[in-house]
Amino acid sequence: MTVFLRTGNHFTNTIRQAVFIMLISVAIGTAVNLIRPDGIPFVETWSMADKLATENGDTMAIPLSEAAALFEKDAAVFLDARTPAEYDQGHIQGAVNLPWHEVDNYFETVIMTLDPEAMVITYCDGEACSLSHDLALFLKDLGFARVKVLVNGWTLWKEHNLPTTKPSS
Amino acid sequence: MPQKKLPYDVTLTLGYHFTRLVMAGVFIYASLDKIIHPDLFAEAVYNYQVLPGYLVNLTALILPWLELILGFCLLINRWMAGASALTAALMTIFVGLTLFNLARGLDISCGCFSTATDENPITLLTLARDVLFLILSLGLIILLFFKNTRSVGKIHKPSP
Repeated sequence: MTVFLRTGNHFTNTIRQAVFIMLISVAIGTAVNLIRPDGIPFVETWSMADKLATENGDTMAIPLSEAAALFEKDAAVFLDARTPAEYDQGHIQGAVNLPWHEVDNYFETVIMTLDPEAMVITYCDGEACSLSHDLALFLKDLGFARVKVLVNGWTLWKEHNLPTTKPSS
Repeated sequence: MPQKKLPYDVTLTLGYHFTRLVMAGVFIYASLDKIIHPDLFAEAVYNYQVLPGYLVNLTALILPWLELILGFCLLINRWMAGASALTAALMTIFVGLTLFNLARGLDISCGCFSTATDENPITLLTLARDVLFLILSLGLIILLFFKNTRSVGKIHKPSP
């Protein structure tokens, strides 16, 4: 009997304490964000297009049609920001693999060989993939003048049957 | 009537305190970088692609504090019933999210212990680590339940 009573108490306590801990977290989290000078807005619209907007209102995103036109004229370098394994399974024809997660290892072999004035187009896969965006910003900081991001690049490229390189197996 | 502690009880007690302190360390350590960089953590939350846009920042602002306060409760051994339940609930969510994003092949940063986006992509190791923490937090719930129900039950027993 005592054990049953204790069990009941235990569960009531659990709920009460859990709710209490959550309320404190909400209160402190909110208060600290209001006070700190580098706080962030409580509600913000999150979309890839917003993330790609530059300070002067331009966007780093490039439409597929433009990217394809540049590809045809061989006027742009395509950089695949995905992992080497994903790159090996297929990529935009002529694209160079520059995995964002290991970008330091590719500094000499890839980045140093690129012309800083050349048009560079980064891509990865999926509407939400941020690798190409992170890579593009990184290259911009390094002094590359013309960097664009082809959002959801790999999927779009395949869907429009544009030239790809597939594994030779 | 004073009862002699059985080796069984000693092991349970030691296990309880060990698990409690490990999870306290994990949660406090995990919260700090996120609290310092809410903007970067918001980006990590967004990259997981599971929450609607308007919940991203709120989550990024509150979740790290929840982790810190939970870690603190575990550290000072207070509100343990609530804290251990929330710890297990959070670990379940983290394991679920890692599984979900591994399964759909989303290449994103973990944002688990650090908000830097160029390192720590989620991998099977991340999943293994999260599962280990989930097991520990479930163990903590069980140990605590024993501690809270069984030992007190004994004291109330009428002495022969």
